[in-house]
Amino acid sequence: MQITIKLFAFLQDQLGPTVTVELDSPVTVEKIFSAVAKQSLAIKAVLENSRLAVNQEFVSENELEITPTDEIAIIPPVSGG
Amino acid sequence: MHYIRISDDPINIAPLYRKLVDPRYGGIDIFVGTVRQWTGDIETRKITYSAYQSMAERQLAKIAAPIEAQGGRVVIAHRTGTLNLTDIAVFVGVAAVHRAEAFKWCQQVIDTLKHEVPIWKKEYDTDKVRWGN
Repeated sequence: MQITIKLFAFLQDQLGPTVTVELDSPVTVEKIFSAVAKQSLAIKAVLENSRLAVNQEFVSENELEITPTDEIAIIPPVSGG
Repeated sequence: MHYIRISDDPINIAPLYRKLVDPRYGGIDIFVGTVRQWTGDIETRKITYSAYQSMAERQLAKIAAPIEAQGGRVVIAHRTGTLNLTDIAVFVGVAAVHRAEAFKWCQQVIDTLKHEVPIWKKEYDTDKVRWGN
């Protein structure tokens, strides 16, 4: 299954606004992070402190039921305010 | 009903304050966050804020909802784009019947915002460029 992931902040600086990865079902949070981690060594530390969002909600469960229309994003540590 | 805005436009306090004024309320607590020059030995020249706008607005609405359900009113404005020293980055205003709730809820909003809302700052300091956190 091909998944496009939105990236922000430092991750976007390093890899651009999105990355597309190919993952076997079932898609898990771990698989998504691991596939993105392979794109660059420079993002390792930030990725370890990032969270996943599906359809603009943070997800905590590991196994995900993703459909092609779902909006997937990696949220690095936030710093608003 | 809460008011939430994330925008490149400068934050103007007066119209945001007016949204909180209502005869039902006896206390309005406002927090205004501005761009600070010094953080310890690090000197900041400017900050660029970016957001995952749709999710940020959704998360802010989730923060406001329980307060509004208890009778308060919440107004939040956050800047994106490039800000200079002293520019307003965030406005949080909460109106409540009494001051205790106004203080408590205002702090609750800004504290939760700083942990749960996908907005990021990129600091342009005199020595280097840093992503916040």
